[in-house]
Amino acid sequence: MINLLKIEWLKIKSYTGFILLASFFAVGVVASNYIVYIFKRNVLDQVEASKLIFSGSPFDFEMVWKTVTYYSSYFLILPALLLVILMANEFNYKTHRQNIIDGLSRYDFLKVKLAIALVFALGSTLIVIITALVFGATSGSSFSVNGFENVGYFFLKASTYNIIAILIALLTKKSGVAIALFFIYTIFENGVSLLLFFLAVKIKKDNHHDFGNLGNYLPMNASDGLLTSPFDQFSGMTRDIIPSDNNKLVLACAIVYIIIFYYWSKIKMMRSDL
Amino acid sequence: MVILCIENLTKNYKAVKALDSVSFSVPAKTVFGILGPNGSGKTTLLGIVMDVIKASGGTYNWAGNSGEANDFRKKIGTLLETPNFYHYLSAEKNLQIAAKIKGRGEADIEKVLKIVNLYERKDSKFNTFSLGMKQRLAIASALLGDPDILVFDEPTNGLDPAGIAEIRELIKKLYIGGKTIIMASHILDEVEKVCTHVAIIQKGILKSVGSVSDLMNLSTVSTNILIELSATDNTALKNILQQLDGVLSITAFGNDLHINCIESITGEKLNRFCFENGISLNKLHVKRTTLETRFLEITGKQSDK
Repeated sequence: MINLLKIEWLKIKSYTGFILLASFFAVGVVASNYIVYIFKRNVLDQVEASKLIFSGSPFDFEMVWKTVTYYSSYFLILPALLLVILMANEFNYKTHRQNIIDGLSRYDFLKVKLAIALVFALGSTLIVIITALVFGATSGSSFSVNGFENVGYFFLKASTYNIIAILIALLTKKSGVAIALFFIYTIFENGVSLLLFFLAVKIKKDNHHDFGNLGNYLPMNASDGLLTSPFDQFSGMTRDIIPSDNNKLVLACAIVYIIIFYYWSKIKMMRSDL
Repeated sequence: MVILCIENLTKNYKAVKALDSVSFSVPAKTVFGILGPNGSGKTTLLGIVMDVIKASGGTYNWAGNSGEANDFRKKIGTLLETPNFYHYLSAEKNLQIAAKIKGRGEADIEKVLKIVNLYERKDSKFNTFSLGMKQRLAIASALLGDPDILVFDEPTNGLDPAGIAEIRELIKKLYIGGKTIIMASHILDEVEKVCTHVAIIQKGILKSVGSVSDLMNLSTVSTNILIELSATDNTALKNILQQLDGVLSITAFGNDLHINCIESITGEKLNRFCFENGISLNKLHVKRTTLETRFLEITGKQSDK
């Protein structure tokens, strides 16, 4: 696998898209959190009433893990987009065929792409950890790993997005179509998720059954739903109306989806004409 | 020793039968041509044995290795259909990737680039190459690691006449060096000049297989001779040839006359006859039954199964 990853690095390191999107991601993570930091300090903290609602700083340790992972997760579309492009380009230019012809097995070809997806997820997570540590350190609070599970959820979301990206590229085999489908699916699922949320609210209100936020059981939203906003101070007040969070079930869904996408990708790769 | 054994290989694309129970074996140390018109199934067949296409039925094995034989494929130098490289990478970097996948040949990069006359362009990106240069890079990639087996699908595609001649000489050199070469082509002349064995495929059906010489000897067409000749006065030459017994037809073709005559008319007899009748020949070229003739016998009269 190390040798295969070295080969992938040879392919990726000179690709302009990789350099650009990786840079945008890193800058986006830092910038988005900095904007929130500035907003909190210069706007919210100047309003007396907000102190009654938002106590403490979102960048103090414990909360910083939740804050940074939440806002950084919006940028996970970038490494996923990069994977769509890299994978679809292999099919566009038929280099996947040449790799197989040269002696790579079909499964090794897929495995290393999934490994790259994992590496991207790890890299994204590392950037987020470093960002959180820096913000936490500058806040002056004492270091704490409480809340670090949010980093795990971030990694899970990154992995989910990346494996969906690989699968979409594998199914469509065309860069433009894959990119469009990836965005369309993201928007579509978010829309469906919102409708399912309202449905869950209605069921809770009418039937007094709390199935949790139904939208969080969809593939992308399963991992999205684990990361919540640090400014989510109203959840206690709306407890009776809003479906409760069932993190264990949502986590299980996220893992099951990853397993399904893995096997779907494998079957497609092993059985198709390339 | 058999390098590649194919048994009842079949490939269906929905209603279209691209390959229909094709079986043959490729002996070691031969130049084995797979000959057929466009759409006959040559590339499909090579795609299956290189595991980029899944067969609908049948089996194949490389030197007795059954299954996908990924490790064995690393020892084969292959050019299949079109040159497939990373457009944003240079020639050298593309070959580095190919060598790393094969696990061999990284030290050969400079050598193979020189063989195909691309060394001066080793740092140029692939997307700046002409079609001929792309084809030559693909050939260079196939040569990495000095493989004992080479598979070429239309290797002269996109090359100029000088390039075609170079590739022909390269294939001959590789054959003399003890390599086994499997070459698919629809150009009869190309196959006839380099191949020792040939399999003829038409519409997915194997029509004939064997050594080129055996194939030619099995011709059921009368063993007529085709002779190309010319003299200073072709009109006078034509007049005297019409008096020679055994000359079946005379056709003017550019500056030459092409005559079709019975096998007993040898070049020597013809030359002596012309001289005795006051004609000195500028050109005399005896052509026996060509592969084209044999190919048309096999496929031209049997276009449907």
